[in-house]
Amino acid sequence: MSIQAYSMGKKEIKEVQSRKLKEVVARVYENSPFYRRRLKEAGIDITNFRPEDIRKIPFTTKTDLRDNYPLGLISVDKSKIVRMHASSGTTGNPTVVAYTKRDIDAWAELNKRCLEVCGVTSDDVVQVAYGYGLFTGGLGLHYGAERLGSKVIPASTGNTKRQLKLMKDLGTTVLACTPSYALFLSESAKEEGIDPKKDLKLRVGVLGAEPWSESTRKVLEEEFVQSAHDIYGMSELNGPGVAIECRKKNGLHVWEDHYFVEIIDPNTGEVLEPGEKGEMAVTTLEKEGMPLLRYRTRDITILDDEVCECGMAHARIKKILGRTDDMLKIRGICVFPSQIEEVISGFEGLTPFYQLVVDRDGPLDRLLVKVEVSENFKSDRLTEIVDLQKRLEEELRDVLSISAAVELTEPRTLPRSEGKAQRIIDLRKI
Amino acid sequence: MVKQFSIFLENKPGRLSNLIDLFERNQIRVLAMGIAEAGNYGIVRCILDAPEKAAEALRNANTAMNLVEVLIIDMEDLHNAVKVLGEKGINVDYAYTMDLGRIVIKVDDESKAKNALSEAGIKTY
Repeated sequence: MSIQAYSMGKKEIKEVQSRKLKEVVARVYENSPFYRRRLKEAGIDITNFRPEDIRKIPFTTKTDLRDNYPLGLISVDKSKIVRMHASSGTTGNPTVVAYTKRDIDAWAELNKRCLEVCGVTSDDVVQVAYGYGLFTGGLGLHYGAERLGSKVIPASTGNTKRQLKLMKDLGTTVLACTPSYALFLSESAKEEGIDPKKDLKLRVGVLGAEPWSESTRKVLEEEFVQSAHDIYGMSELNGPGVAIECRKKNGLHVWEDHYFVEIIDPNTGEVLEPGEKGEMAVTTLEKEGMPLLRYRTRDITILDDEVCECGMAHARIKKILGRTDDMLKIRGICVFPSQIEEVISGFEGLTPFYQLVVDRDGPLDRLLVKVEVSENFKSDRLTEIVDLQKRLEEELRDVLSISAAVELTEPRTLPRSEGKAQRIIDLRKI
Repeated sequence: MVKQFSIFLENKPGRLSNLIDLFERNQIRVLAMGIAEAGNYGIVRCILDAPEKAAEALRNANTAMNLVEVLIIDMEDLHNAVKVLGEKGINVDYAYTMDLGRIVIKVDDESKAKNALSEAGIKTY
């Protein structure tokens, strides 16, 4: 293990962050016309910059990236850029991110750290079933595993039968993919007559790119992979490798020598205390090509700054509770799909596959939660099923503060995905 | 004691047809069937002539399904049978008819019911 990063104490982390914050602010001021203007407008004194001055710097948003499409936010000469990734732009321009050689190197290092924290070693066979290409998931984990010296299978997404065959024949021990695809692979294994516990050797799952719940972990660890770890990242922050769950699985450690995290109130922008729920804003401390100051991730979480039982001092974020853009406003109330997933997980005989349909009945929003029953669902007594449905509806109302209708569906009827799950159907017309 | 299949189906056109198609394809004959519905879903309860083959076919089709023990009696014994069961404090949860002049009965205590009926000289299948 590369000892330094893991053994840093709180004090050392704070010192490194103070120094790097000052450096990055000076660097973007020097090299990025966008940030120079921003910092000047905000009256930031570069020469006497103190760490607490960070709060005076305006947030950077996805809109800033789009408005300055494609490369308006880079802080180096274009000749130093060696890679560009782009996110899917469903509306308007995609967001483009740019890397220098040093950025690619740092990104590989962070992913290597993440894998090591999950217990992956050079002896492991790592199947990367994230998409390779413009999406950063595939290449990020690929670099990390390669740097660690593991045997990498760049399977990318799709072709589920072949994924399972590779897993079986090449003795895959580590699977990196989205949690929803891991669930799909687990189901498909059974259909192919593969018993994951006997025929496969999956030790570690490195699962990210979408929020997932403890219930999904439970299902995956019981049926598919011994230990499922959540990994966090986004292309604006290099890609995967920003934060990782250690063996304690009590939050994701953020690599604080590379990322400075603040949790803010998404409405007012006010910085919140550890333990308070809000949107995560991140300042990149090492990125060279396209450093970002106080980038609003739109991810909702809670910061825990205590030293973890695993011994690492890098602060933890709770599993992502939702995204500000996934957040559904129903009858004026904020609803996150993850809240619904947690409720469903408390019921026997239901699967983690669900879909939320929002529509409008006259002036009133209606929420319908479709949940798939499992194959061993108790299906003889109608009264028991009706009762389960009622209890589910009651609990959803308690947790969400709005009423939701529940519809139980047969096994394997809701759409599956190989990438990020599409769980929300919003039929409301504005 | 006979095994009944209790199958969870969505209450939508075509679902029942899919189920019966599955039986046909596997040469499984339906001997008795009852449907209970509530809102968007229902339970199809049926007695099938090849339970093992049927269980496998249903599992392969990823159906949510349970096997439940039920009693089958001749329709002509119905009057006596429910009297005996009532006297012994055994509840009939539900029942539905079957061809060959028989009736399928689900009770809350199968073995107690079977004993009571046989003591009363009532034939069960």
